[in-house]
Amino acid sequence: MLKRISEHTIYYASLIIILSLSFLLAYSSSDRSFQIGVIVATTFFYVLWGIMHHLMNHDLNMKIVIEYILIGAFGLTIIFFLLSVNGNY
Amino acid sequence: MKEFLSHLFIPKESNNHRAKILHHTNLFLTIVFLLLASVLIQKIKVSFPSVLGIKADISSEELLSLTNKERQNVGIGSLIFNEKLSEAASKKAQDMFEYNYWAHNSPTGKTPWVFIKSSGYKYVYAGENLARGFTTPEDVIKAWMTSSAGHRENMLSSNYQDVGFAVKIGELNGEETVLIVEELGNLNVPIVRGKVETVATAENTNTLHKNVQAVHKQPLINTSSLSSNIYYVFILVFIFALMLDMIIIEKKKVMRFVGHNIDHILYLLLVLILIGIWGKGVIV
Repeated sequence: MLKRISEHTIYYASLIIILSLSFLLAYSSSDRSFQIGVIVATTFFYVLWGIMHHLMNHDLNMKIVIEYILIGAFGLTIIFFLLSVNGNY
Repeated sequence: MKEFLSHLFIPKESNNHRAKILHHTNLFLTIVFLLLASVLIQKIKVSFPSVLGIKADISSEELLSLTNKERQNVGIGSLIFNEKLSEAASKKAQDMFEYNYWAHNSPTGKTPWVFIKSSGYKYVYAGENLARGFTTPEDVIKAWMTSSAGHRENMLSSNYQDVGFAVKIGELNGEETVLIVEELGNLNVPIVRGKVETVATAENTNTLHKNVQAVHKQPLINTSSLSSNIYYVFILVFIFALMLDMIIIEKKKVMRFVGHNIDHILYLLLVLILIGIWGKGVIV
């Protein structure tokens, strides 16, 4: 794991920076629409960034694309339905 | 059972060296399950509100007490409970439910000041804090106090002398929710620190008990904690499966073409943190 991280420092650093930035933006704002916009944009970035990284490593295939999309959909489903069920949307 | 769990979480030959729970079919089924669970929770909430619903235990008295505690902590005089401001807050909450909006200004252009003036409070300074979906007064005050959007400034401003609260339960966008409205005001020009505190003690206890606004709703199961716990469990299970899968494959040095588990773990950690923050309520 550490070997992989050290081999792809820029990739993981940028991913961590974007996710942290996303958290800070979502946390500092009290505008729910903005917060949802941030998490949707972050999910798109996470999916695209993951696909791009595999593309650059020449190991991209359709299964990997679907995996990133499904994990992104899983995250968004949880966020949307938590807010909806709790009446916080 | 042991074999089933091992197949579900441990990458090996039987699951093509990828924890079964992380296979596309299982991810897809999990999403479908969560969607169905949410729909089911909503249906039960509507049909059996005494069994499943929003649990809330918030009163104006507690909100006032906690607000004044925060003000005392920074050396500012206590706020006095004002019935007119409370009436304005109540009208504002009612207006939000009636016209289905969640903002300081209504879609028809009504500002908070319209409600304050119509209740007969002739203010020099006025302010408004809104909160929604919280279930305890402590969480409301904490959210306002940690806000960088002016809520904290409102709560701790020496420009205000009076306060009124409304705590109402109703439906917004078809979802049952608790609205908390705080209207702050001052009838006089600048306040001298310390002087306010003297006035506050006497008026506070007299007026507050006459017009206590509160929501005490205790359904058998609280949807807020139920849904948060379901989602927490799912995310933690997936993070655990991803970590286990990553460690075992690293150890076995199996070559496979799948997404990077670290990416997924980092993304799911963000979702986990946001659930913790957003699951409690929202302020504006």
